[in-house]
Amino acid sequence: MNCNKTRVLMSVAVDGELTVKEEQLFLLHLSECEMCRVEYEEAKKTKLIIREKIVRFNAPASLVTMIMQLSDVDAKKAEGTLSL
Amino acid sequence: MAKSETNHPAKASSKKETLSREENLKQLEFQKEAVVHINSLYNYALHLTMNPDDAEDLVQETYLKAYRFFNSFERGTNCKAWLFKILKNNYINSFRKNSKEPGKVDYDLIKDFYHSIKDTRIDTSEADSDYFHTLLPEEVYLALQSLPEEFREVIQLCDIEGFTYEEIANMVESPIGTVRSRLYRGRKLLRAQLESYAKKYGYNTDTDQ
Ligand SMILES: [Zn+2]
Repeated sequence: MNCNKTRVLMSVAVDGELTVKEEQLFLLHLSECEMCRVEYEEAKKTKLIIREKIVRFNAPASLVTMIMQLSDVDAKKAEGTLSL
Repeated sequence: MAKSETNHPAKASSKKETLSREENLKQLEFQKEAVVHINSLYNYALHLTMNPDDAEDLVQETYLKAYRFFNSFERGTNCKAWLFKILKNNYINSFRKNSKEPGKVDYDLIKDFYHSIKDTRIDTSEADSDYFHTLLPEEVYLALQSLPEEFREVIQLCDIEGFTYEEIANMVESPIGTVRSRLYRGRKLLRAQLESYAKKYGYNTDTDQ
């Protein structure tokens, strides 16, 4: 496997989605190619940074309450009409 | 085999009691399976709509629909993925038309999003002058937002939400091969963007303030 093919698989590798066959070829190339090894570390970092730096917000409490009630309301409605 | 339960007619109103018991069970299961993902859905909705009010509406509509069709949810599969699919469809059908042009980023909103977040550069005093550590959350956010939607979407679903390729393929209604190549190309663009932000700080020069 050459460097180009390896670069394409790198993205798949960081997600742990390589097939067994791909993984073998991928690791084989990494063992022989310093540049791709460095590149692979960078690829892992890019995934990590998205995960770590994108801020997660909590759903507003009012929304959570509403969703809990939503199923209540819908249930009551269903009792009466039974229509979809 | 699990689907055979959908046709319970419950014709007479004398069944009211059992029915509401059934509904109670459904509710409990719904809360356990579906409502627990509300934060993820809300964040996904925020990314799609770029507007907290719209995001709330979208999440609410999603759950309403999900509850109605909860019987068609295949037990044992990923409920979060199922909900995301519903949300995405809802977004396409009722929101996207009225929302701002794709690619237009509301910078005020982003500032609002992030104004409470402290400068994280301070506590990452690692000696390695890794430019990733110098990046601010809003920069990463902007970099992600700057990507074409088809790339941004798969990165979000994969890196932030942790879905598998198979689940993503199902959500975006494309083959796994397409998901792979979008991730590859999206990440390439994203890294170029992140590196350009990092250059602003002169991450290699290791300046001391
Ligand atoms: Zn190589």
